[in-house]
Amino acid sequence: MEAAARDKKIRILLADDHTVVRRGLRLLLEGQPEFSVVAEASDGKQAVDAAQASRPDVVVLDIAMPNLNGIDAAQRILASNPGVAIVVLSMHSDEGYVLRALKAGAKGYLLKDAAEGDLIEAIKTVTRGKTFFSSEITKMLAEDYVREIRARGSEDSYELLTPREREILQLLAEGKSNKDIAGMLNLSLYTVETHRRNLQDKLNVHSFAELILYAVRKGVIS
Amino acid sequence: MPDSASTSPRGHERLLVGSRLTLALGFGSLLLIMALSGLDALRVLQNFRHSEAQIRRQFLYRNHVLNDIRSEVYVSGTYVRDYLLDPETARAEGFRKTLEQVRSQMETALQSYAGQLNPEEAQHYAALKNELARYWDILAPVFKWSAAERRSIGYAFLRDDVFPRRQNMLAIADRIAALNEQQLNAANDQVSGLLADFELRIGVTLLIALVLGLGMAAFSVRRILRLEQQAHAQFLAVAEARSQLQDLSARLVQTQETERKAISRELHDEVGQSLSAVLIELRNLASGLGTRADEHTRSQVDLIKSLVEGTVGVVRNMALLLRPSMLDDLGLVPALRWQAREVSKRTSIDVSVAAETRSEDYPDAYKTCIYRIVQEALNNCERHSHADTVRIRVQEERDRLRLSIQDNGCGFDFEQTKGMGLLGIQERVASLHGTCGVHSSPGGGTLLTVDLPFRSSTMQGETNLGSGGARQENPHPIG
Repeated sequence: MEAAARDKKIRILLADDHTVVRRGLRLLLEGQPEFSVVAEASDGKQAVDAAQASRPDVVVLDIAMPNLNGIDAAQRILASNPGVAIVVLSMHSDEGYVLRALKAGAKGYLLKDAAEGDLIEAIKTVTRGKTFFSSEITKMLAEDYVREIRARGSEDSYELLTPREREILQLLAEGKSNKDIAGMLNLSLYTVETHRRNLQDKLNVHSFAELILYAVRKGVIS
Repeated sequence: MPDSASTSPRGHERLLVGSRLTLALGFGSLLLIMALSGLDALRVLQNFRHSEAQIRRQFLYRNHVLNDIRSEVYVSGTYVRDYLLDPETARAEGFRKTLEQVRSQMETALQSYAGQLNPEEAQHYAALKNELARYWDILAPVFKWSAAERRSIGYAFLRDDVFPRRQNMLAIADRIAALNEQQLNAANDQVSGLLADFELRIGVTLLIALVLGLGMAAFSVRRILRLEQQAHAQFLAVAEARSQLQDLSARLVQTQETERKAISRELHDEVGQSLSAVLIELRNLASGLGTRADEHTRSQVDLIKSLVEGTVGVVRNMALLLRPSMLDDLGLVPALRWQAREVSKRTSIDVSVAAETRSEDYPDAYKTCIYRIVQEALNNCERHSHADTVRIRVQEERDRLRLSIQDNGCGFDFEQTKGMGLLGIQERVASLHGTCGVHSSPGGGTLLTVDLPFRSSTMQGETNLGSGGARQENPHPIG
């Protein structure tokens, strides 16, 4: 019974080169009964090794770490353990960093000074297979998007999407696979793939990471 | 001349003045020698011509006079013979008169010869004169002879007295002619001597002029070579100083970048992270306080929290202003996009970045150069151009990286702007052996273009250096 309860807990690996930050985060996370911090790492290499050894559900990675940075560490961890959800902690709110983290396969992107509620919610969200961004990030990305559209006087490419494509965009951004979406919408896998190709062409995005970023900027997901 | 004197400006001046004086003296005396010897030659030639003509004239004249005398002696002999042999008294009288005439002519000729007499001839002249006098003396009694006398002793007289005398006189005249000829030869010899002297003088003058000229030429060549050497040395010194200056300014720029990077990292990672930790602790404290704490304590914790949050923002901005971490973490194009977004957010200018790049990252020197140029150009746009659109374009070609920045503002003079300005841009570009150009026209906006060639060795070196440097200075390649 007790073992089963422990198994249900979300196993977390915490990687940050600042001891103070790590201690604070651990304190924060252990305040939650359903979380369990199973390992800590103070640099990228340690994080990769610890992820291999302790098989966590979620890895919380600081981007700025010695030896191996958080982005590269995320890629390596996902390469050997594809099921793990990665939440990146960063001091940067710039979309360049967000895009890089998404390309590396991160599910969540948090500003380091975000409220403690964000981290707890982020971990819960990514374990459900969805993406999570700090509210400042989504707000900023959306604002940038609106400003660009307005400044260039260009058409909002979102308006070009059909309702079905918008639906598929949202599901993709939430982390669903083509197969999941086919099942949910009662469509053939081929149809879903076609829709996805069309919407990527319309939005002029070339990768899954850019697609997610677009969804965040448009406020399709948060 | 010691090197120190020849390389110092004062020494150089002294050398120049010395050279001028020596050259003036040398060439002056050379010209003087040539002019004098030329004049001398002219004078000698004139004298020569003059004396030759005179000698010739004298010779001819005297020859002429002598010939006259000789022919008159001859003729007189003939007249005497005719007189003696002619039986008619009246005709004889005519001959006598003719003879008198001949005698006076001969005397005139002798007189005129006496005017041109020279010492060697004097003796012969006197002999001739005596002989003539005796000749006439011998002839004098003949005219008193009767016809019979003339017939009986005339021939004997002619044979024994007149003809030998005449022969004698002719011999004397020949001697004088020979002397005259000798004199001509002597005069000719004298003239040849003069000519030989003149030849010698000309030769000596020529030799002196040649030696002096050679000396001058050698001196001038040496001076010119030395001046040339000095000019070359100075040119090299200036070139070296310039390259050192360029090197120095490039190093200054590089040092500034390194410093900025270090401070930015320090601020961002150390100060920023510590503040983040403080924030986390504060949040833990706030949640730990829960409902136990009173309103006052809770609001104080909130106040501290917002103060720290503000400070985190300030520190982050400072770090980004010094050197955006994107440049090192994400590469050139993301850093440019960030910069464009920041300017767009802060001002009403729409800045867009179009990138046609193959490589994710470039050597540090290249991306720093381009980033700083874009930063400067955007600053200028913001302050001077009143543009509302700026298009930044980065193109990677096989062997070069091109940047163009086009705004739609009113155009402005880059030279007049503050900050790094065009000079700074040019220096940065020059340090990478690139070129840049500004095309600005009123109403047509400003186009700044930069062309940075990749130099295979530089690229390699810079990359190695860059990544090596980054590893050393920069424990967090991404953050």
